[in-house]
Amino acid sequence: MRQDHIRNFCIVAHIDHGKSTLADRLIELTGTLDKRLMREQVLDTMDLERERGITIKLNAVRMNYHSRDGGIYELNLIDTPGHVDFTYEVSRSLQACEGAILVVDASQGIQAQTISNLFLALDAGLEIIPVLNKIDLPGAEPDRRALEIHELIGAKPEEILRISAKEGTNVPELLEAVVRRIPAPRGTAEAPLRALIFDSYYDRYRGAIPSIRVADGTIRPGMKIAFGAHREDLYEVDEVGYLQLGHKPTEQLEAGEVGYFVANVRGVRETRPGDTVLDAEHADVALLPGYRDIKSMVFAGLYPTEPNQFEELRDALAKLQLNDASLHYEPESSVALGFGFRCGFLGLLHMEIVRERLEREFNLDLISTVPNVEYHVHKTDGTMDLVENPSLLPHGSAVDRIEEPYVKARIVAPAEYIGAIMKLGQERRGVYGGMHYVDPTRVDFTWEFPLAEIILDFYDKLKTISRGYASLDYEFLEYRPSDLVKLDMLLNGDAVDAFSVIIHRDKAYEWGKKIAEKLRELIPRQLFEVVIQAAIGTKVIARETIRPLRKNVTAKCYGGDVTRKRKLLEKQKEGKKRMKQVGTVEIPQEAFLAVLQVD
Amino acid sequence: MRHLYLHVPFCTRRCSYCDFSIAVRKRIPAREYVDAVLREVKLLGATDPGREPGDSEHGLQTIYFGGGTPSLLPPDAIAALLTTLRDVFRATSLRNDVEVTLEANPEDVTPEAATSWRRAGVNRVSLGAQSFDDRALRWMHRSHDTARIVTAVRTLRVAGIDNISLDLIFALPAGLERDWGRDLKQALALRPAHLSLYGLTVEERTPLARWISRGAAAAPDDDRYAEEYLRAHSRLAAGGYQFYEVSNAARDNRRSGHNSAYWSGRAYSGLGPAAHSFDGKVRRWNLSAWEAYRRAVAAGRSPVASQETLTDEQLELERVYLALRTDAGLPLASLSGPLPSSTARWLEQGWAHLRDERLVCTPEGWLRLDALVRDLTGCRTTG
Repeated sequence: MRQDHIRNFCIVAHIDHGKSTLADRLIELTGTLDKRLMREQVLDTMDLERERGITIKLNAVRMNYHSRDGGIYELNLIDTPGHVDFTYEVSRSLQACEGAILVVDASQGIQAQTISNLFLALDAGLEIIPVLNKIDLPGAEPDRRALEIHELIGAKPEEILRISAKEGTNVPELLEAVVRRIPAPRGTAEAPLRALIFDSYYDRYRGAIPSIRVADGTIRPGMKIAFGAHREDLYEVDEVGYLQLGHKPTEQLEAGEVGYFVANVRGVRETRPGDTVLDAEHADVALLPGYRDIKSMVFAGLYPTEPNQFEELRDALAKLQLNDASLHYEPESSVALGFGFRCGFLGLLHMEIVRERLEREFNLDLISTVPNVEYHVHKTDGTMDLVENPSLLPHGSAVDRIEEPYVKARIVAPAEYIGAIMKLGQERRGVYGGMHYVDPTRVDFTWEFPLAEIILDFYDKLKTISRGYASLDYEFLEYRPSDLVKLDMLLNGDAVDAFSVIIHRDKAYEWGKKIAEKLRELIPRQLFEVVIQAAIGTKVIARETIRPLRKNVTAKCYGGDVTRKRKLLEKQKEGKKRMKQVGTVEIPQEAFLAVLQVD
Repeated sequence: MRHLYLHVPFCTRRCSYCDFSIAVRKRIPAREYVDAVLREVKLLGATDPGREPGDSEHGLQTIYFGGGTPSLLPPDAIAALLTTLRDVFRATSLRNDVEVTLEANPEDVTPEAATSWRRAGVNRVSLGAQSFDDRALRWMHRSHDTARIVTAVRTLRVAGIDNISLDLIFALPAGLERDWGRDLKQALALRPAHLSLYGLTVEERTPLARWISRGAAAAPDDDRYAEEYLRAHSRLAAGGYQFYEVSNAARDNRRSGHNSAYWSGRAYSGLGPAAHSFDGKVRRWNLSAWEAYRRAVAAGRSPVASQETLTDEQLELERVYLALRTDAGLPLASLSGPLPSSTARWLEQGWAHLRDERLVCTPEGWLRLDALVRDLTGCRTTG
């Protein structure tokens, strides 16, 4: 394919603004997929994606489009994930494109993610085609929203397409605009191979299969290739092809084209998004810009409920990691929970997804600890520890200062919620950075937050106080010192490591009190009194007690009761197996989950 | 088979705490019941391998008419049943050796009935006294009053039945202001051979459960339960009674032989709707609804609704929790492993003690029995 007949583009949008529906329509209108095989959200292949209505795994699709100018164009739509956890992945997808369709819901208008993703697209130098979607809805205000877009990116009203992806209205015009307005790729076909990895997929028989955008040169089977991040390892290409809801082999991929290759690569850790694929014989070329190692932002311990499932969990994590390079894990042990893994995630959604996949796809039953960020603990001896497990925080006198990660956050919300959002921001130790009106009724706030304050339930809270209208996006900023303490929960004097948290001193009392109350509700009465304490060091800041059980017996037990009674005991025994014993106290699983849901 | 249970499902009304399989009837279908049970006896062995009447070397030792309300059956029905059962189960003499218990409501104990029961072979009566407080009796939906209990005991003794047990219920809601101490005193004054004391338990789908759910009755109070249970222990001990099971006490060793069979894991056969049978390995139970049971046996079909074959683990669990219910306790040798460390705390607290290589619960331990059972059976892998 001649490069001038190739268009590589993506769709950027806030969640629920219709990205997947628009992708469905484009695939349908270009006749890419047989009508019979069409279904909603066709690019989202994981059950989880379909259930949650989000894109987790990237997908690309090649469409052949007969343009009104008579030419046949190769359109490559590169999907982008729809969540703040995956900002880096979004930026890599954008690097593979020359243009982006910016989709804005004609009733909801511009949201935080619209702006963040738009800025990413502009940074990547993409041509933007602004689109107002859902014009068929009664609440649509296309004129007002067009003005917003105009103010945001300076687009003229006639450049903004008004479509309904659901109904198909004006989608053909959009396809024409893609051909006319998005520049063709301008790679050098004769130069040595340079291809950008924007995603990677793991196949259990063929290993890691990276999705690539060829910048320069050609890739074809039989070639020896290397990766920029580990040039010494060489691989032989077995197969190249393009993506069309499946892998379609071709003879080669040329400069400007998007596709995949198979080269017997063991796992996706070797094919990191953002890395450059090189011709092994001409490897001394400059790498494509922007690659960085993805760092985990959120950490939590994952433990099997059944101690004997540790090996299974380890195998499951290894398998998952083959397909998810952003998942990190290492073994750890907990007095309360036994053997498990401290895992690093991109964010809370990523954590939930991993956990859910482990439970669903590997049939595991897991307990997770309270998620936390990674702390930089500067010690008085001048060294620094990276602490991602609160129970491993060095002793108080050895610590000079603790630094925690801050993020820069953007919140877009109707102006009537300014007060509530200011209050929430302050409660979460936010540093207010200013705001401006995106339109007469809505404001765009900037804040700096400690990441720890927003990973747990900030987004839910924000949605609640704004009746669902506020949107949020954030990115890592820097590490800053904070007055942080380690808060332990003690049961009959024994600290339960899985409940330990690192928390700002001003918030420790309230947190400790709430957890103590919650544990009092959730830990069943036992034969002996249970004293629950929240403590900072040796200082107890909250205390609850659970009165001992006085009676635990069935009054009547005769011939007809024996079976029933035995079944009851068997059930209780099962329940007891699912309890974790710390010292003399039995703690039910729910208690470990409940601390994740403290208001 | 040495132990035989007959379930007589009929009652004239449902007691507020009762979730048993009963059939509330104004008129008791006595003839149909006797026919049905006798048909079931004929079907034994023919349709239910494992429920054969048994061989001669294992002569019948106990028969127990439970309910429901067996005393609602006319005395001749009871006599007819006992006559046949004696033949089928090869009991040479029902009158002397075999313990034959009849559960009776105090209001059913007339001089005529008592004499007929005795003549038919009944030598033990378990009276559903429940309380000596008329207000509490009304609340329980019982049809008798305190005076009837006293009369019933006297009538039974006159008829020659001296092996009398009284059922009492404790831990009644505080709002009833029932005086448990006074009840115990009145019960002891009658010098029954045996007492069964049951803590009030709220079962699903009972009038009591409904009262509690709509706030008309207080939810059970474990502290009250414990306090009244322990009070009964000290009062009964002072009166010469010995608790030989969690809820049962006897004087002069006049224990219930029939119920002891359950707790020692012996085989038993049950007749009538909802009755359970056990041969040491397999437990079966009959259709629980009277009509369904009657139709099955009338059609010559086995009335067994379901059965289970106990695994070794289940047998151990049953053996442990049943043995610990009794004053004989659990032989340490019968445990598959060493005593778990948590048992030490039981001994320390005085909730159990070791006697002749057996683990035996104290009253405080009986109150918490289920927790001990969980500790002793499996579950040694936590932490």
